[in-house]
Formats: sequence, C-alpha cells, structure tokens
Amino acid sequence: MMKQKAYSTWLAALAICLFNIASRPGGALKTFRINGRAQGTTYAVTYYAEREAVSQTQTDSIFKSLDASLSIYQPGSLINTFNASREGVEMDLHLSRVVERSMQIYKQTGGLFDITVYPLVNAWGFGTKDEDGLPDSAAIRRILPCVGSVNLQTSGNSLVKSNPCIQIDVNGIAQGYSVDIVADFLEVRGVSNYLVEVGGEIRTKGRKYPGKEKMSIGIETPSATEFDTPVIREVISIGDGAVTTSGSYRKFRQSGGLRLSHIINPKSGFPVQREIISATVVAPDAITADGFDNALLAAGVNGAFEILKKHPEMDAYLIYKKTDGNVADTASAGFARHVVR
Amino acid sequence: MIQPPTSRRDFITTGLAAVAGAGLSAAFTPAFAVTVRPADKIRLGIIGTGSRGAGLATLIREITDYDLVACCDIIPENLQKGLSLASANAKGYTDYRKLLDDKSIDAVVIATPLYLHYPMAVAALQAGKHIYLEKSMTYDITQAIDLVKKVKASGLVFQVGYQYRYYGLYHRVKEIMKENWLGKITHFECQYNRNSNWRFPVKDPKMERAINWRMYREYCGGPLSELCAHEIDVVNYLTDSRPVKVVGLGGINYWKDGRDTYDNIRTVYEYPNGVKASVTSVLSNAYNGYSIRILGDKATVEILRDKAFIYPESTNNAKGVVDGVTGATIAVTTQGKGVEVKFGKPGEAELEPTVFALKDFAECVKNKKEPTSNVETGRDGSIAIHMGNAAADTEKVQYWKPEYSA
Repeated sequence: MMKQKAYSTWLAALAICLFNIASRPGGALKTFRINGRAQGTTYAVTYYAEREAVSQTQTDSIFKSLDASLSIYQPGSLINTFNASREGVEMDLHLSRVVERSMQIYKQTGGLFDITVYPLVNAWGFGTKDEDGLPDSAAIRRILPCVGSVNLQTSGNSLVKSNPCIQIDVNGIAQGYSVDIVADFLEVRGVSNYLVEVGGEIRTKGRKYPGKEKMSIGIETPSATEFDTPVIREVISIGDGAVTTSGSYRKFRQSGGLRLSHIINPKSGFPVQREIISATVVAPDAITADGFDNALLAAGVNGAFEILKKHPEMDAYLIYKKTDGNVADTASAGFARHVVR
Repeated sequence: MIQPPTSRRDFITTGLAAVAGAGLSAAFTPAFAVTVRPADKIRLGIIGTGSRGAGLATLIREITDYDLVACCDIIPENLQKGLSLASANAKGYTDYRKLLDDKSIDAVVIATPLYLHYPMAVAALQAGKHIYLEKSMTYDITQAIDLVKKVKASGLVFQVGYQYRYYGLYHRVKEIMKENWLGKITHFECQYNRNSNWRFPVKDPKMERAINWRMYREYCGGPLSELCAHEIDVVNYLTDSRPVKVVGLGGINYWKDGRDTYDNIRTVYEYPNGVKASVTSVLSNAYNGYSIRILGDKATVEILRDKAFIYPESTNNAKGVVDGVTGATIAVTTQGKGVEVKFGKPGEAELEPTVFALKDFAECVKNKKEPTSNVETGRDGSIAIHMGNAAADTEKVQYWKPEYSA
C-alpha cells in the first residue's frame, strides 16, 4: 500500500512539474542543498536554481518509494516478496528498470555482476541477518545451483524464477539507480545544474553558480577502517555524467586475520580476493557505473581492462595492491581527461 | 593513603600477622615447585571460597585442566560450598597454611579479602605453589613492590585475576585502537557504579567485618580496589602504560551505615602524553553501571559488560575542497546508536571472561609461561589504586615515583 501511495505521489509530482520550469535563463541562480539519510547511508543534493525546485520532503519520498520496491532491509518490499515467492512477482517500474539493466550488465561482465548472488551474500553474513559462523565449501556448493541470472525470466512486468531458491539482491546497483532517479526528478523540475550523491555514488550536470565553475569530485583513498575520515586521492570533473566507486575496504568481516570482502564472486561462491581495493567508474549514468564497479573489482586489474575495452562510454580508475604489498593505481586511457589535479 | 592495618580481627587465624611480618623481613626461601607435566591435571587448592572463590570453583569444575583437591575458608558455610564444587575426595581446611603444607598441591587460587592477599601469596610462594591471586593484587604499595621481587625470585607462575586481559572483547578493542579506528585517543572515561549498599547479609553481628570487609579500610581500598581495579587495569592494558599522576575526591555521602570506605569516589589519572582517564565509582546510581568510554578524534568506543559500540565522529571533513566524494559506501546508523564491535572467532562459544583467564593460567603452569596479567601489571594496578585513594584522602596530587617501577 505504502509503496503505491509513494509511487503515485511521485508520479503526480512529475506531472505537475512538466509545466513548471524552475530556472529560466538570465535569472540569478541560488544554491540549494538537501542532506539526508537513505538506504543505510547518507545522501546529498546540491542544485542551482532561481527558487526552490525540489524539497527535502520530495526527495525523502522518492527514497521511500525506492525502498518499498528495492530494499532487502524493508519488510514487505517488492524485492522481499519476490525472494519469498515460489515463482515470482509482478514488477513495479523501479524493479523492472533495475532488473532489466542488471541482466544486461550480467551478460556484459561475463556473469561477474549477478543480482541472484543473494543466497551467497546471506551465507557469508553480509545479508540482513548477522551470521556468526562462516560457510564451508560444501555449504557453498549447495547454494551455487540457486545462483545465476539465467534462472530469471521477465515477460511483460512479470519476473519469474526457475527455482523457489532463487533470490535477488540489487544493492550493487540500486544506489546508482537511485542517484539517476533523483537526478531525473531535478531535470523534470527544470534544474540543469546539480550534483546528486548517495553513499559515494554521484551524478553531476552543468556548473556551479554564480561562478560557473566545474564541479569537482574527490576520489577517496581506501581507508584502513570502516570509520576513517575520507581522504582525497584524485580530483576529477565529469561534466554531465556519473561516477561511482566500489571498494571492500569499508564493509568486510574479519576471520582469523583474513578480511572477507562483502563482494561475493557469484561464480565461485566465495568472497572476492582480488588485488583491486577500489574501483571507480565514470559512465553516462549512475546505474551503469554502479552496475560495473563491483564487477571490475571482482575481475582483477587485467580482467577489468578486458571488460572496459568493449565499453568506450566508460572510464575507470583502479586502486590496487601490488604483489609487494604497496598500493598503486591505474586507469583506463580515457580517464585522464577527467582528472583536475 | 590507607594505613596498613595495625589490628587484626579475631576471625583471622592466629599466626597470620606473624607470617605477614616474616614475609617482609625474613629471608625468602621458596620451596621447589612441583613440575606439572602438560598432560597432567593441575592439583589445585582454593583459599577463600566466599562468593568470588565459589564462583571460580564453579568455573574450574568445567575446566579439564584442573582437579580441585582442597578448599580453605574460615566461615563454615563458605567452606561447605567450596567443597561441594570440588573433587569427591577434596580436603577442607580452615587454616590456609595447612593447605599449603600439602605437597601434592601444585597451585592455589587465592580469593580472600584484599589485606590477606600479600601474606597468603608470600606463604604460597614459600610453599612452592603457583598462584592465581584475585584482584586487586595487594593492600598497599610496599607490598606490591615486594611481591614483584618475591615472585621473580621464585620462578613460579603468578597470575592476577584481571580476567578482562583474557577476554576477546578487549583484545579486539586494543586491535581497533592500534589500527587507528579511533584516531588520536586523548581520554578514557571509566565508571563502575551500582545502586546498592554493596553489602552481604550477616546473620551473626560478630561476622559483620569478616563478611562485609569491603566496607572497611582496614581490609581493602573500597570501591577503587574492589570495583574500579578492573578498569584501571584495562586502561593500563590498552595503553601499555601506567599512570603518571592522579587527582581525586571521595566521600561517604549516601550510605552512612558505619562503613569507612568511600561510597563515591571520582579520580582522574594522567597517563603519558597527557592522556587522561577518569575513574569513578558511585554506589547510588546504576545507569550503564560498568562502562569504559574511549574518546578518540575519529570515534568513541563504549565498552559495556560483554559488548562494545563504536560511535564515529562526523566524516564530512574531506568535503569543502571538492563538491562531492566518491568512495565505498559509508554506513550510517541512527543517531545515538553505535556500531557494535564484533569480536571472537566465528562460531566460538561465548564464555565468562574468567574461564579464559583460568585456562590461560593452566597453560602457563604447564608450559612455564609468564601470564599476561602478571605480578608487574598487578603491581601497576595496585599502586594506581592506592595513589587514587591517597589523592582523595589527602586532596593532593599523587605522583608515580620512579622507585615504584624500578
């Protein structure tokens, strides 16, 4: 019920806004900022307009509608209904878009990005429940038949599973999608200069006003701990586009001196143990960048460049640990044009 | 400062004072310790089977390294309780020296009122017994310094009952500090509060002082030596140091029931590099009774009885130079709710911290290892406690003197 209500509010808002152009050329643009919490992290929106075009309440209601559809942490969400179902569900617009894009990226990454990874995520204790123990390889072997996006079929709005044990987790892409949704909302309200950030995933358009400077984005140095204050390693400017980062340096479990990454390789069933510490992807939209960043991390440096070769629309910056233990970075050829300093 | 006792109550076995005196002046000649082979069970005696001693016996019963073969207590009910938890043929004593005379006993647990710790430990060393001595270690500074010498000369295993040094929670907190999760740590805030008179029931009024020895300075240092001792030891352990100086205020302002130990005391210890540790005990409020907060410039850790939480400081510092930061998602928690510190190995059973301490004592006895909570860390704790009480008694700053740890 709540999902539908929030969704119709959002549609109504959209309809009204088609007639409401917030920033006419020539007017002096002011800075508006919205900060809040959503999806277990923080979000920040900065936009430049003559008058307020989007409010905190509106933004929060967008996040509510996203959670009602995509959040595994929200009881009764559509995704949880799908996971609990034997056969599948009718998708809403959010789930349908996210699943469609996820299936494409699944194919484009050779299965390294796979939303059916959820049973593995749970087994490794990164799901909604705390797991005390660690699964053994026999347990992982039992779970693997339930993993693989080939087990998902869509027809119209139906999302169908081939086996009741198939469960999906879109956390690897939903934040990017959320960034796009908020950005779309700003555009519908006539805003064309903005920065939207949700949990470190960013989309920008236009310039900062009144000085018309480019928007600058810091890429964080992987920190040793969950609580380190972010330190900037590189500063980039991406114009009209999106940038997201995947890193296992904040979310991991410690086991006998070993760090277990929260990024699980859907093919092997085990946490990714790769040299890449952090993968930053620049792409035209945030859902694309976010969908690919985990896969690049899981692919390793060479594998990541293999994937990037086929996607000239994307650039990536990778921070990795060399065999001698030192931390180094590398980037795709096109990345240099984004670097400010 | 608490003065050394000049009188002994009649519940103390006669001859004890003589032993105590002899311990300080007479030549110290420990008997040869019986070697315990790793495969053998340790034949153990407990001196003092009151509430703590019986509690230890309950845990020892479940630890296969030990055979509890003897108990000693001057109060018959306590002795019966101890024996009920011991091996079938365990012997009961009312005179601890008789227990120490039993050559077949390898090690003793001493869980008696604080003022008895030193004389009993010295006698046990002379009898060649390995010792697990309950905290805090000694009644005063002189005894603490002297016990270090005697233990070192003995070659025996000597462990002080600061079980938190053996508890995974504190190991993890120490690791987190080392990994700089908290940033620069400048303060510790320790409290050990309860809302009760802290008394045990007394049937026979003559037994008041024997049972409620915590109320009297003749026998212990009050809340600082009996409660906060753990927290002082924890700060010493986490900082790998000891206090430089201390200020304090104390009083008997709530439980005016004839006690002469404080019912409230608040001290501030200074550690190297200006790190301060406030150590408080209030016996008229129990909110978060046991708690240690570690204040760093990146985050705070709050340690409670069996869990700890991290409260990160705001992480917006990096912005300002840029318009946005891309990085791995930073989890936020609801305001005022910390992130729980995970500790222990996956699937490992949660045990009473004292079990880990007792198991490690067995390991040290069998393999001749130095305990983590040893006579020197015990000395540092006891001296800090006495400095804190002295600061409150004299209302003057007390300084760690070089000869304390020479």
